[in-house]
Amino acid sequence: MNSAAAVNRMSFERFGKMETRTTDTSFDPADERTLLQVEPGTYIIKRIDTEDEDMNAFLFRLGCYSGEPITVISKKKKACIVVIKDGRYSLDALLASAIVV
Amino acid sequence: MRIAFAGNPNSGKTTMYNALTGRSEKVGNWGGVTVGSKEYQLKKEFAGDREVIAVDLPGAYSMSPFTPEEGITSEYVRTASPDAIVNIVDATNLSRSLFFTTQLLELGIPMVVALNKSDVNAKEGTEIDVGKLSAKLNCPVFKTVSTEEKNNGLSEMIAKAISLCGTEQKAPYLQADIDLHDKAAVDAEDRKRYQFVNGIVAEVETRKVLSQETNKEDKIDAVLTNPIAGILIFAGVMWFVFWVSQAWLGPLVADWLVGYIEAFQEFVAGQLENSPPILSALLADGIVGGVGAVVGFLPLVMVMYFLIALLEDCGYMARVSAVMDPIFKRVGLSGKSVIPVVIGTGCGIPAIMACRTIRDERERRATTMLTTFIPCGAKIPVIALFAGAFFNGAGWVSLTAYFFGLVLIFLGALLIKVVTGYKYRKSFFIMELPKYKVPSLKFAFRQMMERAKAYIVKAATIILICNTVVQVMQTFDWHFQVVEEGAENTSILASIASPFAILLIPLGFGVWQLAAAAITGFIAKENVVGTLAVVYGLTAFIDVEELEMTGGANTVAMTMGLTSVTALAYLFFNLYTPPCFAAIGAMNSEMQHKGWLWSAIGLQLCTGYTVAFLIYQFGTLFTEGHFGTAFVPGLIAIAVMVVVIILISRKIRASFDAKYQLHKNAQTNVA
Repeated sequence: MNSAAAVNRMSFERFGKMETRTTDTSFDPADERTLLQVEPGTYIIKRIDTEDEDMNAFLFRLGCYSGEPITVISKKKKACIVVIKDGRYSLDALLASAIVV
Repeated sequence: MRIAFAGNPNSGKTTMYNALTGRSEKVGNWGGVTVGSKEYQLKKEFAGDREVIAVDLPGAYSMSPFTPEEGITSEYVRTASPDAIVNIVDATNLSRSLFFTTQLLELGIPMVVALNKSDVNAKEGTEIDVGKLSAKLNCPVFKTVSTEEKNNGLSEMIAKAISLCGTEQKAPYLQADIDLHDKAAVDAEDRKRYQFVNGIVAEVETRKVLSQETNKEDKIDAVLTNPIAGILIFAGVMWFVFWVSQAWLGPLVADWLVGYIEAFQEFVAGQLENSPPILSALLADGIVGGVGAVVGFLPLVMVMYFLIALLEDCGYMARVSAVMDPIFKRVGLSGKSVIPVVIGTGCGIPAIMACRTIRDERERRATTMLTTFIPCGAKIPVIALFAGAFFNGAGWVSLTAYFFGLVLIFLGALLIKVVTGYKYRKSFFIMELPKYKVPSLKFAFRQMMERAKAYIVKAATIILICNTVVQVMQTFDWHFQVVEEGAENTSILASIASPFAILLIPLGFGVWQLAAAAITGFIAKENVVGTLAVVYGLTAFIDVEELEMTGGANTVAMTMGLTSVTALAYLFFNLYTPPCFAAIGAMNSEMQHKGWLWSAIGLQLCTGYTVAFLIYQFGTLFTEGHFGTAFVPGLIAIAVMVVVIILISRKIRASFDAKYQLHKNAQTNVA
């Protein structure tokens, strides 16, 4: 499978999953991107789901939760550097893709 | 009276603790340096006549622990009821830190807030209204700079904390009475708490430089965390550290020091001229010679400690951990595994303890198991001795030893991944990137002296005792008669070590002297050198220049009866077998699982044995055109190890499968 198809399939799955989750009718899937998919800049966090409650709670305590701003400073294939509150953090791709902005 | 130091990771708790108590506990510029609690009396100038104990705790972001070391902190402040709390707040990250502050204030224990790193704020033009913050939090707030010696705000802050003991703290924010098992309710409460904190920050803090803006440090980060450049830089930095400490500056100082040690040894021998030869041999050769051989390598170790302290102080470690994460993840470890590995170049015990910051249990245990493959400071004398005696002091020996240690960590991690049948499980990586800091030479010097002191103390106690015992055991036979010349094989030491020596024949060094040295190495790795010095009556191994001129290296090599190939095999055997007992003890307490502990020891034994076997047999094949002695028995031994590992793997996988089977059944039942 080529990579474009892989991405397509991934985003498909993602949207499929979200439709079952969300009840918000004004919801537009085209607006939703994970930290891995955005360019550097400041965004408001829409949703975090790492499927790991402790991890979600940990991120919360750092000030990383829905409604709060997060700034992407730089991005690489497998990691990105973000600013949460006044701290800089390096996140791996798995964590970055669990943060939806 | 007890005062607990609590706050976010990397806010400077231990630096402050050191300043107030005069201790030299390990500090570093990344989150998670302190992984256990420590306590000590405050200096007289701060405590006056009272006895005040400061308790340094690991960093925590909140009262609900995420990693094991965070748990120590919340457990302590909850249950040990200290008389007061000093909450160290990173003044450059007030907006995050106050979350934990407000939680601590709810405990009812009198508290003082120390706005640490206030110098950084002054530099960046960030202003915090201390009076207002104090009023909002309902507790005294002081600006502090723990890294400064004067005008650091510490004495006022700690005096206030002491004076508050016995009072009760009123919380500015109280969590509503909710069911703590109700996730939604807890979530809502935490949001409210952050709202409260955000409100305070908006009122008390004014910033000239916003954190979101890209700055110079980000440009450095871009290079250091670049997957290619970053890894090359890390390799270069480590190469530089090893080269300076073990091939350039270290040996330079060591040569100079060894002269003094030899002079001292001659002096002692001269003083003992008229005493019985046994006493003279025991004191001059055994004690002074053996301990001297170990102390002679101290400069190499000191230079290394100095450079590592600089690395740890500047903020580089967090970047290394970020850049190495993808590679380490591939073999089933975490980017955080890098930190124990780097610390491990100094000593394996703090390295093993540093594994606590790794959240995933399997990753943590695997790192604990493998981290001691990186040669520690105590192994430097062993490396330097063999490099000096057999390879003309070649720098490549030590560099290879470290590089090969890393390779073994990767291979070991892969093996653990295969054996445990590692099923895909989400493992996240998040690491705070602290602000860079110009490393303090003074601090690095102090850390170096502290470690040097420990090294000398160890040489003067454990190593000294071991050398004496070894000397006595090789001087006497079982009837407590002095062993005659030519009958050394009848000594107590020889008869104990010989059975082990047989096992080492396939590795090329099956003589009792070398076996004895390897065994005493488990007490402390420096003992390998000390014991060799005693059993072969050799000293001044690393006087490279002299050895070169007089051909003394050959003398050492001849006396030990080793070729270059067997010497390398013996060296690597000692480097990659299990660490000293103290480190094994640390492994035990971190793993808290007998199965893992024994697998770790087993894996290390197998690794050391296999590596030595391969080097000896194939080295001999290349240099002499045939395999070494006892190739087949050695091969059988290794085959047995492989079979055992496969059996263990099967067992683990079977129990996994059984678990999954249960799950399936459970699901079908529900359906």
